Amino acid sequence: MLKVEGLEKNFGNKKVLKGLSFRANSHEITGLIGKNGAGKTTIFHSILKFINFDGKILFNGEPITKDVYREIGYLPEERSLMPKLTVFQQVRFLASLKGMSVREIRKELLIWMDKLEVKGSPDDKIKSLSKGNQQKIQLICTLIHRPKLIILDEPFSGLDPVNTDLLKEIILDERRRGATIVFSDHDMTNVEELCDKLIMISNGEIVLNGEIQEIRLSFGSTKIFVQTNLSMEQLQSIDHVTSVKKTKYGTYQLDIEDEKYGEEIFNIITGGKYVKTFDQQPPTLNEIFKMEARR
Amino acid sequence: MKQIILVLMETYRRQVKSWSFILLVLSPFIFIFVSLGFGYASSRLGDNTSDRVAIVSSNRKIASQFRYDKKKTTLVYQTKKDARKALDKEKIAGYLVLEKRNGQFIAKYVGEEKMDSEQLKEFGQLLQQKQQELNIQTAKITSQQLKSFSKQPILKQKIIAKGASDATIKTISFVFIIFLMYFILIIYTSAIAQDIASEKGTKIMEMIFSSMPAKSYFYGKILGTFAVIATHLLIYTLGGGLCYFIMPKLKISQGIFSEYQDTINKIITNLVSINLLYVLLGVILFTILAALCGALVVRPEDVSKAIQPVMYIVMLGFFGALTLGQDSNNLIVKWASFIPFLSSFFMPIRLIYGNVSIFQLLLSLGLLVLSAFFLARYVGSLYASLILQTDDIGIIKSFKRASKMK
Repeated sequence: MLKVEGLEKNFGNKKVLKGLSFRANSHEITGLIGKNGAGKTTIFHSILKFINFDGKILFNGEPITKDVYREIGYLPEERSLMPKLTVFQQVRFLASLKGMSVREIRKELLIWMDKLEVKGSPDDKIKSLSKGNQQKIQLICTLIHRPKLIILDEPFSGLDPVNTDLLKEIILDERRRGATIVFSDHDMTNVEELCDKLIMISNGEIVLNGEIQEIRLSFGSTKIFVQTNLSMEQLQSIDHVTSVKKTKYGTYQLDIEDEKYGEEIFNIITGGKYVKTFDQQPPTLNEIFKMEARR
Repeated sequence: MKQIILVLMETYRRQVKSWSFILLVLSPFIFIFVSLGFGYASSRLGDNTSDRVAIVSSNRKIASQFRYDKKKTTLVYQTKKDARKALDKEKIAGYLVLEKRNGQFIAKYVGEEKMDSEQLKEFGQLLQQKQQELNIQTAKITSQQLKSFSKQPILKQKIIAKGASDATIKTISFVFIIFLMYFILIIYTSAIAQDIASEKGTKIMEMIFSSMPAKSYFYGKILGTFAVIATHLLIYTLGGGLCYFIMPKLKISQGIFSEYQDTINKIITNLVSINLLYVLLGVILFTILAALCGALVVRPEDVSKAIQPVMYIVMLGFFGALTLGQDSNNLIVKWASFIPFLSSFFMPIRLIYGNVSIFQLLLSLGLLVLSAFFLARYVGSLYASLILQTDDIGIIKSFKRASKMK
């Protein structure tokens, strides 16, 4: 379990992190979201001890020391490898820093290349691989030593849908293995699909922290999806409806002031008659993100 | 420690395997071999038949008696006329006409240029010897008389080895040391700064720093570069040692070596001493400073600009020592021999001239070691903050920001 307590970081006079506390458990995927510059990368850099900070960061009850480094797998935001090295040389260097023997690395590399469907051999130069395959090699470097704490900074950026699915499978496999996974992404669909827990950072503070469904429900079911013969104007004129949008499938999306007005609006729209769809839901993660980011 | 060694090995492997390193190390040897090759080729060309001298005599027996060197002479031309024709056609360098008249050998050389001095000496000796034999024959003297005639005066020579004066040896020694320093620093400070700057732009550094502390990586990097420099120097030392043992045996260099053997030995003694430690510590200190400069720029092409302060200090040490090196009592030399960065250039001068006490030596060495240690620790502590910055905000601001982030 990763435990962050009272994490503070100043860059000169600027307070970048303002006493953050959160936990990320093993067998769980924790999503770290926030606007650009919210402080996500600074949190990762603090966990990895790239920078000094105030507060406490513990992994399985221990501070992050040289020994704990071996249990960490980190994939940075942008992809980059040493282009002149071969795949094996590159993986060997990074994996041996994690304490793996050359024999283990050779064996595991083949397994991972097969698992991630990397086209090429361990003796190929990194620069000869396609961008997608280079990305996969970097992921192998992150996971080959079977880390207990996995930190992925925007792991899906630049991946096509097929490889995105492949990576999601790998992340879920790692969760099943028992790893503590923390990842950041700007695509809320990925976050919603993968994460058990969510932490949202805004201006160096945690604004949301909890299970995704709980967070969504905490915003109330203020969204109604309805298929009706009423016009847009008629829907807009209903009390407590704040906005109305028509989706491309012909469904109207209504935002209401509070979920308690749901029943009242249901009665007005249906008038006791049959409607194909009336669905009252909490806001999506994407909407919550936008709402919180605008505050 | 294991991780530092891994980084050391990786840095070492990458640099030693590079073509630039191989060419750098091999270039002096290539130069020597090419020079020797030219020497050999020109000596082979020197064996050209057109350089030979024809021995001409109406008496074939006399002609063959006076053939002082088979390679340099020929008996092909038997008459003066033939020899002249050959000379005109530049088939020979000249011809010697030999005659025996009234119990005396008469020799005349004809050529477009004077006879080669070495050949003239050889031929003169032979001519002298043959005339002596002829004289003995003509005089009909007894063996006892011959013995008496053969007595030679005794001339003893005591050769005092020709060598350089003590002052010259000292000058050569310190000039060699500061040139060595300058040469290493010019090459390797740029190389490490370039290497670090090119790594800085890459996110792989974050992956590396997630596996080991940034300062350990930095130490591994410095030690790796130092191992490359040590390999470079070792190859030159082995090459120099090989030359030291082989050159005296080669005909081409025998003369110079025997003449200057004593001087060479004294210079080597001056070099292989505590001076070498000063060179090595100086190289480490400058390498750390160069690494810091390399870590301050975002683009590798800005390295030359960032490394300028290092180059200024190197040049200050180099030209200062070169200018003031003759006077080890100079106050500037004395002060500079305690200042880290400069002491590696100035203290060897005082050491070579024997103008330093043990206390001063230990103080200077202590300051040098401590500076290297603390500079390495300081840059190591800043390293992650320096390397993980990717904004192009200038060298000074970049340094300030890294200090804040630290």
